[in-house]
Parts: sequence; C-alpha cells; structure tokens
Amino acid sequence: MKLSVPMPVRLVLLVVGTTAFYMYLGQIVPQREAHPPPPVLISAEMTTEDLVAVGAELASGKGQCLVGCHTVGQSGPLRYPDLDGIGARAATQIEGLSGLEYLAQSLYEPAAFIVPGFADGMQPIDQPPISLSEDEMKAVIAWLQSLGGTPTVTLDTELGY
Amino acid sequence: MNRNRILFGIGVLAFISVIVTVRLGGFLVDNEYRQPDRQVAAQEEQGEAELTPRQQGIVDEQAADEAEARARPYEEAEYRAVPFVGSRVTVWVLAQLHLLFAAFVLAVPLFAFIIEFVGYVKKEERYNKLAYEFTKLLSVSFSMTATFGAFLTFGLIILYPKFTNYLMHIFSPTFLPYVLLFFLEALFLYSYYYGWGKFGPKMHLFLGFMLNIVGTAIMFIANAWLTFMMSPGRRDDVDGDGVPDFVSAVSESGALLSLRDAFFNFTWMPINIHRIIANVAFGGSIAAAYAAFRYLQAKTDEEKAHFDWMGYVGNFVAIIAFLPLPFAGYYLAAEIYAFSQTLGIQMMGGTFSWLFVIQAALIGNLFLGANYYLWLGMGRMEGGVHFQKFIKWLLIAIALCFAVWATPRYAISSVSEIAAMGGSSHPQLSYLGQMSAKNTAVNILILSTYMSFLLYRRTGRQSVHPHRQLLTRAQAIVFSSAAALVIFYGVYGYFVDSATRIRFAIPQVYSVLAALVVITVIDLPLYRNATQSGETKWGKIPAVSQYALIFIALSFTWLMGLMGYVRSGLRQEWHVYGVVLDTSPDAYTPTLGFATQVVSVTVLIFFGLLGVVFWLSSLGGKKDWEPKTVADGGDRLEGGQAA
Repeated sequence: MKLSVPMPVRLVLLVVGTTAFYMYLGQIVPQREAHPPPPVLISAEMTTEDLVAVGAELASGKGQCLVGCHTVGQSGPLRYPDLDGIGARAATQIEGLSGLEYLAQSLYEPAAFIVPGFADGMQPIDQPPISLSEDEMKAVIAWLQSLGGTPTVTLDTELGY
Repeated sequence: MNRNRILFGIGVLAFISVIVTVRLGGFLVDNEYRQPDRQVAAQEEQGEAELTPRQQGIVDEQAADEAEARARPYEEAEYRAVPFVGSRVTVWVLAQLHLLFAAFVLAVPLFAFIIEFVGYVKKEERYNKLAYEFTKLLSVSFSMTATFGAFLTFGLIILYPKFTNYLMHIFSPTFLPYVLLFFLEALFLYSYYYGWGKFGPKMHLFLGFMLNIVGTAIMFIANAWLTFMMSPGRRDDVDGDGVPDFVSAVSESGALLSLRDAFFNFTWMPINIHRIIANVAFGGSIAAAYAAFRYLQAKTDEEKAHFDWMGYVGNFVAIIAFLPLPFAGYYLAAEIYAFSQTLGIQMMGGTFSWLFVIQAALIGNLFLGANYYLWLGMGRMEGGVHFQKFIKWLLIAIALCFAVWATPRYAISSVSEIAAMGGSSHPQLSYLGQMSAKNTAVNILILSTYMSFLLYRRTGRQSVHPHRQLLTRAQAIVFSSAAALVIFYGVYGYFVDSATRIRFAIPQVYSVLAALVVITVIDLPLYRNATQSGETKWGKIPAVSQYALIFIALSFTWLMGLMGYVRSGLRQEWHVYGVVLDTSPDAYTPTLGFATQVVSVTVLIFFGLLGVVFWLSSLGGKKDWEPKTVADGGDRLEGGQAA
C-alpha cells in the first residue's frame, strides 16, 4: 500500500527538518562563551618574572595578541610576524632603537615600522577597543622580551609614551 | 459535513469549559473563610469590624508596596529585563524578523519592476502577469515589516533605554526623513499594486521605479544606524600621506563630532552593496518558494505551468544575485579588516571562526540545491539527456570546493592547545583554511554553478549561428582560462608574503567576473533564434524540484539570520564599538549552539508568518463566496434566506 503524506505535512517536515539540521550543526561545533576579559591585577610589588606571567596572560586574553594575529614558533604563510625570538631580535630591528624602545613603539605606534613582507594592520593597543593600561603594556613588553631574550622591564621602567 | 460537526462539537466543548472554569473560580472565592455575617454586623455596629487574615494580608501588602514606591527615588533605567527569554534575545528575534520582511519588501519591487520592464519592451503580456503575481506578496509583507519595526523600536526603548537614547543623540536628524520616506514608500507601493492595469504602462513603470528608489533610500538610512555601531567613523587621508586614516565621528566620551562621518561611516557602503544584492537573492528565493507552494497546490496543468515558470524565474533571480554575493561579502569583510584588524580577526579567526564552517555548509547547500533544481529542470525539455553526463563532474567540483570552504583556519582552542600548536591554527589543515584556498574554492563554485546554468540554457536548443563552433570554443577557452587563473593564484598564494597574497584575490575575482560577462555576451547571439529540438514543457517537472525551491528559500533565510548574528555579535561587549560599552548581564558572546537555536526559532516564526502571507496572497485568485442554492444541495436559498 502506498503511503501518501499530505502536502502541508511534507512542507512542515521540510521546514522543521531543515531548520533542525542547521541547528544541529550549530550544536556539534566547539562551544565557547566569550566573556569580556577579566581585569588583570598588577600590584606595585610585582617583579619582572611576575610581569612576564601577566604579560603572557594578557597576550592570550585582553590583548588579543595570540587570538589569530601573531604566533609563537610557527612558519609558513603567516598573517603577522611570528614572535619567537623577538626578545633577542628587537634590538636589531631599527637602527638607533633599543630592544625595549622598539617593543614599546610596536605596541604604541605599530604603524611606525612594518616588518617587510607583512601588511599594516595592527592598531595601538593602548586605545579602544583593547585599551591596555600603562602597567599592562609593561607586562606585555616583559613577556615579549622573554621570547628569546632576557626580560628587564619593571613597573618603574619609563616607556616614553 | 463531518468537519462542520467536529468544529461544532469543539465549540460546544470550549463553551462548556469556559462556563465550568468560571463557576469553579467563583466557587473557590465564595467559599473562602469569612466571619459569620451576624458577628460582622455586630462588630460594625460597635465600630470594631475585623478583617479576615487574608484581607488583612492584602491590605498590609498594598501598604508596604505603596510605602516602598514613595521611598524609592527616581532613577533612569540603563537596562530592563525580560523574564525567561532575556532582553537581548527579545530584541535579536524582533530585529531579525523585521529585517527578513524588510529585505523581502525591498527586493520584490526591484525584480518585479525589471520583469515588468522586460514585458513592456518585449510586448509580452506573460511578463506583466508574472510581475503582478510577485507584487501580490508585497501588501501583507509590508504590514508585517512595519509591525515588526514598531515592535523593535518599542523593544529598544523599553529594554535598552540609555543606549537607544545615545543613538537618538547621534541620529535624531535622520528620523524625520526616514518617516517621510516611509510614508512615500507606502504611497508608491500601494499605488503600484492597486494601480496595476489602471495606469498606462509608462506611468506604472514610473511608480515601480520610484518605489525602488524610496525603498533603497530607507534602507540606506537604517544601514547608517547599524553600521555606526560597528564602525563609528569614516576613512580619509587626513594627513596627505596617501594612507587613509580613521576619522572618528564621536569624541572619546561619545559626543557627536560629525553627523556626516557617523552616517557615511566606514562600513556603510559595503553593507549597502551587500544588502542590495543579498536582498534580491533572498527575495527571489522567497518568491520562488511561493511559486513552489502554489505549484504544489495547483489542480490544473495551466496553473502548474504558470507556477513552474514563476518558480524558475524566482530561482533564476536568486541565483543570478547569489553569484556575485561572495564578492560583496569579501568586500565587506575586507573593509571590516581595514577598519579594525581586531574585528576582522574576531570574525574569521577568533570566536566566530566556527560560525563560518556552518556558513560554508549553508552556502554549499545553496549551491547544491540551485544546481539540483537546474539539473531537474533539464527534464522539462526534450534533448536534456545529452548534457546530463556532465552533471557528475560538476557535482564532484562543487563537493570539493564545499569541503575546502568548510575548513577553518583557526580553531577555538584552550590556552594549553594554543601553546601546543604555537598558535590557534592546526599545523596541516589550516593550509586549506587560508584565504588562498577559500578564494579559489568559492570562485570555482561560482564557475561550476554558472556552467550548470549554461547547460540548462542549451538543453533542447541548437544554435544556428554561422560561427557557432568558433564561438563555443571561445567560450570554452574563456571558461578554462578563468578556472586556470583562479587555481594558479590559489596555489601561488602559498609561496608569497601575506601582503602579496591578499592582493591575489583581486585577479581571481576579476577573472571570474570577466568570464561570466564574456561568456554571457557570446551566448546571447549564439543562441538567438536557436532551433528547438523539443518543446519546453512548463509544469512537467518532478514535484521534488518544488521542495528544492523551498529548501533554497529556507537555507537563504537561515543564512541571513546567521550572518546577521555575526555582523552584530562581532562587536562583542560593545554597543558602539570602542565607544559605548555594554554593561548589561548580556555583555558576552553566547555559544554558537545558543545562537543557532535563536536563529532557528526566528526562522520557524518567519516561515510560519510567511505561510500566512502566502495564504492571504493566494486568496486573491479564489472565486468569490456565493451562497449555496437548493439546486447545489445546500439548505439555503440564493440570497441567504432560510428555506
């Protein structure tokens, strides 16, 4: 016996079934709620080592450095320069600028020098929407210095910005 | 008759249920504890009437509420909550429903006008009828758009008063023109619809033209409001160094500096272009779904033929608009990147990267659905078998492109996973997720679909052009060259730096667009006056093709809901990006699972309402009601008098 499904029922099944399928796709991909980054506490007694740890946290969180922009230890076609070894490389990037000055310039005025082969695109991260504070900038610089170099930044370091 | 009895029975049951409920409620209230009447009367005489515990409780509660209300100082609310659903979801659903109907109302006049114009030029009445059939859908949809627009406005004012007030501070000068244009749109829309056949063709075409102009202007104003939230400023070379600078339309505190910069902001024009094209694709697909709905209801061959043709035209409009849509999408995405790398990377590489995997599945389904419909359509024509051998190759090409497009470059990863991978991308698969591979995939998808359309167009036709072999070879060379160029740049992109790689998208896009134009230009004279090896049998297409049309419309709607979410969600915890922070409990980006649930519910509501629109629009074609006569077997006489 041939089972005949009425047209309206078929239409409802098609609409509900297709919508359910697309909704199911949404359930099987990785799920993550993205909350605004929690405030990072930087206290006056923090050492350079402490700042490195805070800087690493900022790079993966509020600073959005490692969320699709830079990488550490990758090669091949990259969106922006890989940061591996930047702590040692920084002092030789621009003549006349120390490593610390170069890193500070990269964060406050990223368009001032573009690494050859890469496009301009980074925005000053002390401004909205990232809006890192001066102490947070120092922590990020300490972390960058630790990538292949020796971190020297303390909270008393003057960045000149 | 049975149906009437069932309805009558349900009515009686409902009536009895209401009576029983009211009586039961009355019984419960009446049997509440009361002091004996004599005791009350005695107490009242002595001036010491006592309240029952319940009455005393009510009086105390009222007094406490009043005292609290008097003690509470007036505070301007920043946010208000909606129980269970939440403010954000409420506004989200209302905005999406308003947008879906608005997109349809803006798109249908555009292609109805074009079809009417074609009919006017070709002097063929069938085009005029088709345009009218499309326009029938507008009247109810326009009311739906306005209704959900009002809901959305009230929703924003009530639930987000402070933020809405801020937007009013920026854009209040645009409100009066908006309202006036809306009034004009109503005027042109109803005169265009009700004036069909009442005005001369030129006058009627003018009304259609004005309807489109006014509708587009309304959309441009509304687009300024929403794009300002994403990019509150414009781009201009202020310092004369040849590099465009960002000129903010507001101060750091959010005060308006320039309405012009707020209106003509960074992403305004890309959104305008993207929306016009997307609206036409969406409107075409919904109109095709309407035709499919009517086809499935049709009783006669004539009706089937008419609605089959209407569905074909609607789908044709949708696909023609859909082909350049990825280019418009890339233009919009590139402008978002240019405005803010952070926004751009959030979109493609951060929280939303997996959303584009779902988008790829939707677009893949749309391409497959469109191709499937065209392949089925070949069966309408005699001689269709000749081309069907190419279909499997097209299917393979489409499936491969689909797979590449669905591969994400960046995955959502934990901190330890990021550390293990040295970044947020997979060491091997991320190669397929890069722009080079994706641009290549989408361009080949477009070329494949266009090839399907070409095969469909040739089915059952034989060119009589004297240089038909030469022209056909020229088309093949253009097509192959475009495909080769796209693949070449796609592969070469892996061996150059990122700045050069990004620029490769331009020759890829231009080569495909040029191929589409050149092949079409050759095809028109090539198949002019072509001989027909068989008749096109409109209405002779498998019913499954009509379900394919509805599937395409559904996928388009779902896609619009998803992309609407990403466009708005990109701002994350900002109401106005970098200016007004969202401090409500909803200031976070929900999971994709939750977002797709909201999109799905919205789509189901929209399709439910669309069913009402289709039903109301189809009433126009039904016979007028007439009372039954004795001769018909009814129990009433003509004129409605009792027998």
